[in-house]
Amino acid sequence: MKRKIFALATAAILALSAFVGCGGGSSEQPSGSQGGENKPAQEGEGGEGSGETEAPAITVLEGDKGQIVIWVAEAVTDFTKEKVLAFFDANPDYKGYGVTIETIGEGDAATNMITDVEGGADIFGFAQDQLARLVAAGGVSPIMGDDAAWITAQNDAGAVGAATVGDTIYAYPMTSDNGYFLYYDKSVVKDPSTLEGIIADCEAAGKGFYFEMNSGWYQTAFFFGTGCELTYDTDNDGNVVACHVDYASDKGVAALKKLVELHKSSMFNNGSSVSNAANCAAIISGTWDSEAAQKLFGENYATAKLPTFTVGDVSYQMSGFGGFKLLGIKPQTDAGKLAVVKALAKYLTGTEIQLARFEAVGWGPSNLEAQANDAIAKNPALAALAEQLVFTIPQGQYPQGYWDQAKALGDSILAGDFDAVDDAKLLEVLTDFQNKCISFAK
Amino acid sequence: MAEKNRRSLIRSYIVLIILSIIWLFPFFCLVVQSFRSYETEFGGMVNYLFPKKWSLDSYRYLFSEGSQFVKWYTNTLIVAFISAALQTVVVICVSYALSRMRFAGRKLLMNIWLVLGMFPGFLTMICLYFLLKQMGLTGSGAIPGLILIYVASSGMGYYVCKGYFDTIPKSLDEAARIDGASRARILYEMIVPLSKPIIIYTALVSFMAPWCDFVFASYVAFGTSDSYNVAVAMQRWVWTNDYQGFFTRFCAGGVLIAIPVTILFMCLQKYYVEGVTGGAVKG
Amino acid sequence: MNQKKSIIKSIGSFFAWIGKDLKEIGVTFAKGSWQTRLSFLLIGFGQLVRKQFARGLAVLAAAVGLLYYIFGFGMSYLVDLPTLGTKGRGFNPDGTVSYGDNSFLILLFSLVTIVAILAFVFIWRVNVRQNYQADNLLREGKKLPTNRQDLYSLLDENFDKTLLALPVLGIFVFTVLPIIFMICVAFTNYDFNHQPPAKLFTWVGSENFAQLVSMDTAGLGSTFFSVLGWTLIWAFFATFLNYFLGMGVAMLINKKGIKFKKLWRTILVLTIAVPQFVSLLYIGKMFASDGLINSWLMNAGIIDRAIPFWTNKNYARVLIILINLWVGIPYMMLIATGLLMNIPADLYESAKIDGATNMQMFRRITLPYMLHVTGPFLLTQFIGNINNFNVIFLLSQGGPTSVNLEGGAGYTDLLITWLYKMTVTNTNYRMAAVIGIMVFIVSAVISLCVYNILPSVKDEEGFQ
Repeated sequence: MKRKIFALATAAILALSAFVGCGGGSSEQPSGSQGGENKPAQEGEGGEGSGETEAPAITVLEGDKGQIVIWVAEAVTDFTKEKVLAFFDANPDYKGYGVTIETIGEGDAATNMITDVEGGADIFGFAQDQLARLVAAGGVSPIMGDDAAWITAQNDAGAVGAATVGDTIYAYPMTSDNGYFLYYDKSVVKDPSTLEGIIADCEAAGKGFYFEMNSGWYQTAFFFGTGCELTYDTDNDGNVVACHVDYASDKGVAALKKLVELHKSSMFNNGSSVSNAANCAAIISGTWDSEAAQKLFGENYATAKLPTFTVGDVSYQMSGFGGFKLLGIKPQTDAGKLAVVKALAKYLTGTEIQLARFEAVGWGPSNLEAQANDAIAKNPALAALAEQLVFTIPQGQYPQGYWDQAKALGDSILAGDFDAVDDAKLLEVLTDFQNKCISFAK
Repeated sequence: MAEKNRRSLIRSYIVLIILSIIWLFPFFCLVVQSFRSYETEFGGMVNYLFPKKWSLDSYRYLFSEGSQFVKWYTNTLIVAFISAALQTVVVICVSYALSRMRFAGRKLLMNIWLVLGMFPGFLTMICLYFLLKQMGLTGSGAIPGLILIYVASSGMGYYVCKGYFDTIPKSLDEAARIDGASRARILYEMIVPLSKPIIIYTALVSFMAPWCDFVFASYVAFGTSDSYNVAVAMQRWVWTNDYQGFFTRFCAGGVLIAIPVTILFMCLQKYYVEGVTGGAVKG
Repeated sequence: MNQKKSIIKSIGSFFAWIGKDLKEIGVTFAKGSWQTRLSFLLIGFGQLVRKQFARGLAVLAAAVGLLYYIFGFGMSYLVDLPTLGTKGRGFNPDGTVSYGDNSFLILLFSLVTIVAILAFVFIWRVNVRQNYQADNLLREGKKLPTNRQDLYSLLDENFDKTLLALPVLGIFVFTVLPIIFMICVAFTNYDFNHQPPAKLFTWVGSENFAQLVSMDTAGLGSTFFSVLGWTLIWAFFATFLNYFLGMGVAMLINKKGIKFKKLWRTILVLTIAVPQFVSLLYIGKMFASDGLINSWLMNAGIIDRAIPFWTNKNYARVLIILINLWVGIPYMMLIATGLLMNIPADLYESAKIDGATNMQMFRRITLPYMLHVTGPFLLTQFIGNINNFNVIFLLSQGGPTSVNLEGGAGYTDLLITWLYKMTVTNTNYRMAAVIGIMVFIVSAVISLCVYNILPSVKDEEGFQ
């Protein structure tokens, strides 16, 4: 009995060492969270040294002042690495910082920043629809002063608007190409100007038409096409405060009817990723798919603005979102590092780099000067996008609830829930949809 | 009678052959697709099975400079080996204590663990992430962090092993104790050698788990690609739209993962069967 | 009824135990030697003076460590527990950020501190008891155990403490503490709009629970019950279909006259060996609207448009259950193979002589035996299927969603995959915590019911 108690005490010591370890580690946190952040990154650097010969060097620079972590999409990882090296060559004052580049998809990047901003990247690329969430969760640093003025002067108005929440700019615009248009196979689709024609051609050839119906982002091609409106206002904290929507109207019913009709086609497939489209003659996607689409269609590769569609006897032009990719920076606690991070983000979104990025991976610039470049105008994907752009609505900020709700609406169409219902029922569905959209704004 | 028997046997064989085809079909497809040529047919999804041109492109990619696959594979191996070893030790310790020793709070401890087991594991993900972060075991420290998490909670998985220990007669223990052997010696020199099947089973199960962890491992690695395991890295190829034409690479990677795990499993299948059967009976 | 009585009884005995303990502490002090009395204040003093260094140092180190943690670190967090922090984040003129209170860490470290305080009380009590026992031994004229004996006992009669110390500690830190933390989170507003370190979160009472079951438009009630319903349906089919079909396959392979038994088993068992994220992700893609299966059926002219395997909720649900057979039958087959061999062959022989058909033998002999021995297994399988994340998530990600469901949930979502979406996709931790608690309640209720209904399960607990 007595020895048992002694043994229990020993167990308690073990427990205690855990508390001490736990407490000790974290008590350093307030005094210098900067140090805490950098430590793991530097450890990684040590481990990286040996792996560098065989794996791609994601630690592009080593330094003892601190580690700058950059998260970018797969397509531009190598490009970014090259340009970061060029930046530090051109700016010897900033030497001494280590840089790590990681491949993180744009959606994941935002989610990670929201989950743990302190553990996240210093510079990260993301699609603008995440901005309000990021601002609300404090995952992105506001950009003040000269840089804000620089962003406003250098980029197209849509891009600046996309980087703004309330009255503050929160990110450096990187591209103005986050919209969608039509890729198609010339040998199958003869005339890409009407949706009905495209579907008929696809059905005749037994090849698929791909459109991502269960996505709030693509769906708007139809709703905005018939003239519906859906926008949100955000306050300075990134909270959604007001909703302007008129989906519950004849316009909305027309769009929904067309979506239902589209899904009924035997050659309709739900999807927007070229490399996941197994039997594809036409697909609605964005510039990021241009390389894959060229490979897929080979010499029959062609692009066009989105087609028109007819409901009853009224013809509408497909619309949709014109979106932007942004580069955000994490709120920094160290002024020295902040200066470097800001300079680097500015550099990575400047005229020269946007042009170079276009040449390397085909991303369309948001920078006004770069947009005026000849090469941009000649690119078939960007030309189609530019043509489509006049019909689109610059994408603002939408709450997560909207995306969930729109996905649900799309899934319901795909499931055939509305295959045999009348307009009154469709209006009811849209009224419900609209009320939910409004309920997300508080 | 013989005729009837023969017919029923033939029917059984037909059913078994159909079952085998169904069971092998996905693996067959996976292997075949992994040999599709990236150059001529791209690496995306297609609606036919047999490649028009066979090639090793996808495998070549996995081992090329541009891919960290080898790193991820090594990470997973490290986690699997270390956590299998440590988990086995923990499970043996807990099982022995609960099977052979009677101490105050034994029943209480077992009941508490039973109740804890009813909370879904994903519930605490966010908390575990920040706990590990306090210890510096996320991001680039994710590999030891992951091992720590796997091992720390493994004590609760004692049922099967304890059930096995329970079947070893207690009279053996008592005889050894009369001879002056300590509890520790009894465990190491008697129980452990007698429990080879269940130890192998425990190690095998814990070895296989990390290969499939794409949820928690992803959380802990937190965007540090050096710390990914194969599951975290490869599920992105299928689910993230950023990765164009990675489907055949996914298949190739899947084949490379499946081969060693399957070989190991087949070699140790006997022990696995013993473990699951014992576990099923003893609950 | 029994449950109730035993709960009342255990509460009673708990208070009796406390009373006894307090009395013992009093007696220790009143009758104790001066060393013992001094040890009430100076932990470990008595032991050290009596040369029981191992014990003395152990309790002393534990006590000092705990006090150091509590006063050096934990208290500063504990005082903020009622509010979970008040000081928000701000930006300095130079653009850098100054983070204020971190609600997450306040909650986490407050919990640790509370545990540390309890641990300290416990250590103090252990200290008092050690002195009490030493007093008693000396009074009886016996010798105190030496340090050597103390340490050796850890490998012998106290071996359980040695064995369990680390596992229990591990489970406490990485399972118990996080669960308590998440239960607390269920009563806060910790979500994407209240994300530390930039924002604070705070206590909101039972609001989240109300939202989960509320049936009005802002509530998740109808979605919750839909997901819960499917979770139970799924668990039922996934458990029992696999069980019976797995048994059937096992009997088929075991049949007299079938050759290559090992080969058939090995083929099936491949599904256990190959990691699920490879096989199931692949199978999921096979059934896509433009996947292999649909393409073949269309090329063969059997269908003229793709079967909506993943977009129609009924197709999706049935398909998932079917694919789960692919996963689950081999597992059950292995188990059944072993168990079927245990059934004495003469039972079947005598049944045959009596003219019983195969079906009758299965119903009268095989099934009762199997059900009897695998009762607890079925329960664990059922609970396991409620939490079967991989199969659902790798195949359908919970889809299809619908306008009739809220919170991003789909028709094949289980509570556990919904919890995952809440945590990872929506970073809505408060609702994730509430759903997690619901999963616990469902599992616990089912287990309790089964324990009370099935006597064989109860026996199993006492199986030694």
